[in-house]
Amino acid sequence: MENSNALASEKIIQDLLPQKFGTKGKVFVGVLLAFCLVGLFAYYRQLRYGLVVTAMRDYVSWGIYISNFVFFVAISLVGSLITAVFRLANVEWSKPLTRIAEIIAVAAIIFASLIIIVDMGSPERFYFLFLYGRIQSPIMWDVIVITTYFFISILLLYYPLLPDLKILLRFKEKSGKGLNKLYKFLGSYWKETPHQIKLGDKAINILCITIIPVAFSIHTVTSWLFATTYRPGWDSTNFGAYFISGAFLVGAGSVVVAMYIFRKAYSLEQYITPKHFEKMGRIVVLLALLYLYFNINEYLVPAFKMKKSEEAHLNGLFAGDYAPLFWFAILTGMIIPIIILLFKKGRRPVPAFIAGIMVVVGAWFKRYLIVTPTMLHPFMPMYNVPESYHHYFPSWEEWAIAIGSLAGTMLVITILGRIFPIIPIQETINEQHETVA
Amino acid sequence: MKPLHKKLLGLLFTALLFTGYNAVGQDAKKGSLSISVGFYSQNNQVPYVKAKVKTKVDGRFKTVAGIPLALYINNGDESGNLIANVVTNEKGEAAATIPASLKAKWGAGPSHTFLATFKGSKEYEANTGDVTVGRAKIDIDTTSDRKITASVYAMSDSGWKPVKGVDVIVAIKRLDANLNVNETATFSTDSTGTASADFKRDSIAGDANGNITLVAKVEDNDQFGNLYVEKTVPWGAKFTPVSTFDRRTLFATRDKAPIWLILMATSIIVVVWGILFGLVVNLIKIKKLGGQSA
Repeated sequence: MENSNALASEKIIQDLLPQKFGTKGKVFVGVLLAFCLVGLFAYYRQLRYGLVVTAMRDYVSWGIYISNFVFFVAISLVGSLITAVFRLANVEWSKPLTRIAEIIAVAAIIFASLIIIVDMGSPERFYFLFLYGRIQSPIMWDVIVITTYFFISILLLYYPLLPDLKILLRFKEKSGKGLNKLYKFLGSYWKETPHQIKLGDKAINILCITIIPVAFSIHTVTSWLFATTYRPGWDSTNFGAYFISGAFLVGAGSVVVAMYIFRKAYSLEQYITPKHFEKMGRIVVLLALLYLYFNINEYLVPAFKMKKSEEAHLNGLFAGDYAPLFWFAILTGMIIPIIILLFKKGRRPVPAFIAGIMVVVGAWFKRYLIVTPTMLHPFMPMYNVPESYHHYFPSWEEWAIAIGSLAGTMLVITILGRIFPIIPIQETINEQHETVA
Repeated sequence: MKPLHKKLLGLLFTALLFTGYNAVGQDAKKGSLSISVGFYSQNNQVPYVKAKVKTKVDGRFKTVAGIPLALYINNGDESGNLIANVVTNEKGEAAATIPASLKAKWGAGPSHTFLATFKGSKEYEANTGDVTVGRAKIDIDTTSDRKITASVYAMSDSGWKPVKGVDVIVAIKRLDANLNVNETATFSTDSTGTASADFKRDSIAGDANGNITLVAKVEDNDQFGNLYVEKTVPWGAKFTPVSTFDRRTLFATRDKAPIWLILMATSIIVVVWGILFGLVVNLIKIKKLGGQSA
């Protein structure tokens, strides 16, 4: 029995050790890097010439950057859902997905922080925020909770990595010098003594408990950036719950997408099985239905009342300039994925992956629709302003920075997936032993 | 050839007028300009004349800014009748008080005509605006039982005489608009030239001393133009402004944040970052344990 266990363990280790990029991987990284570089060049132009290179003006002062920021914050919540909630609820099947969720959370929260600095124009304004910020301002709360969430996510990624780092250190030749140095620096002290394991497990439990309220805070506070501002479309008492339900949906959708890509790229079919897609598909359906319910509340009730001051905003979304985008976001982000994933066949890897992509793409446009149309419909009429102030379409610099940040997030996920085992090795071995026993 | 020459000059001038004088109606096209003239007397002091220039664009009237006008008393033929040369503002309006040099002419008769012409514009020479008004004055008075009386008098050859049947608005002056003193807005003068109104706004807020301002006015009257007078009375409720400037509020400056918010935010930050600090210390412990076991 012990022999067979050892053999199984070795196979698991060999299967799950980080693998070098193949040709496709290199091309993928190259393309992402190219997008990042174009984004950096656009940011250089913004630093040199100021925010005037963007299409944001007096009325639309929050454009694609803030939409992107809300999107990243939303995605980052997945770390708390898959890792913390499932771990605390003892959901065994989610174990192979925990690292993917943690990596997505870390990458997304890094770029959420960066994009908010980009939105400020000059980066020193971020420093001024700490010097002169008001604790009464939701923007200040957001900065505090995002910083906190970032550190918790890093710790939640790091602690469960320790046993895997010990394993990785055994394969110096396969890892290469550079990576081996990194593994040594990060985890050479992990000897798997009972005391260490006890302290590690305790820390992970504490992190799982801590991250849930912080994750709720991070997105609730982000929603308050809008809801505490008296504007059509944002004047809601329900924005916190609405944002969190949307965040869990896009986070779960992104995990499904990442699961499929990593499974394909690293041949992990034995570890990320159709069962995982089936389970995650169910979760995505549940979250999409929940988010759809909140959307109905957020749009149908104001539409029923159709207050004069909100009429232009709502009509613009339902049947006006933003109608194609609005219905695209609702259909692609919620309704079509629900239809696909409600059926067992739809929860197979390929259709689930397609539904996941739809959820993520729909979610990005949904954030754009939450931010921009409202800014174009202030309660006070726009009067005596240049014609261009009545519309907003991002400049190429804004697109380049936004796309660059999305590419940057994917790059961080890809690189972390290259450096660290994308599926926790030690946990998989332990699970295997438990199953055999 | 002469009429054609004149027409061309006229067209050129019109073009200059619209390009050089920055019409407010930004999409205003060339069209005929019209002037309306109004006469205004405020608190029976030096009266003024106001002219308004409009043009019709796409079937709608739009005001025109930057148009030079000449305002006259009685007629525009004598240079001594000139009140002032003015230019319309962004609302298409231009106003001038009757200067001291015309005091004798203003006092000479019971009624006068005020004239506005496009200064130096041959194209629009024929488009003049005028208004003929009789010299009049309005008084406002109050009684101890909170009754307001407004009296309108007109100048006749034998002096000031009360005027019957003039519509007078009696109201309370507020920040943006006037508020009726009771359910009626307009009162008509009787044979003594007096219109009476009962004050029924007992609880209305006044200034720190409870003062409010009553107004009586005649608007766009065919005979007398616009007359306006006001009087301050202590009939309002005393209003003590409450300044929140130095208080700790959510909308105050950073050093005036509410204590409860500071306590709440700080305690949350301390607890959460305390946990994080504990977890980092935990890592150091794990590291030490690793060193010992090696």
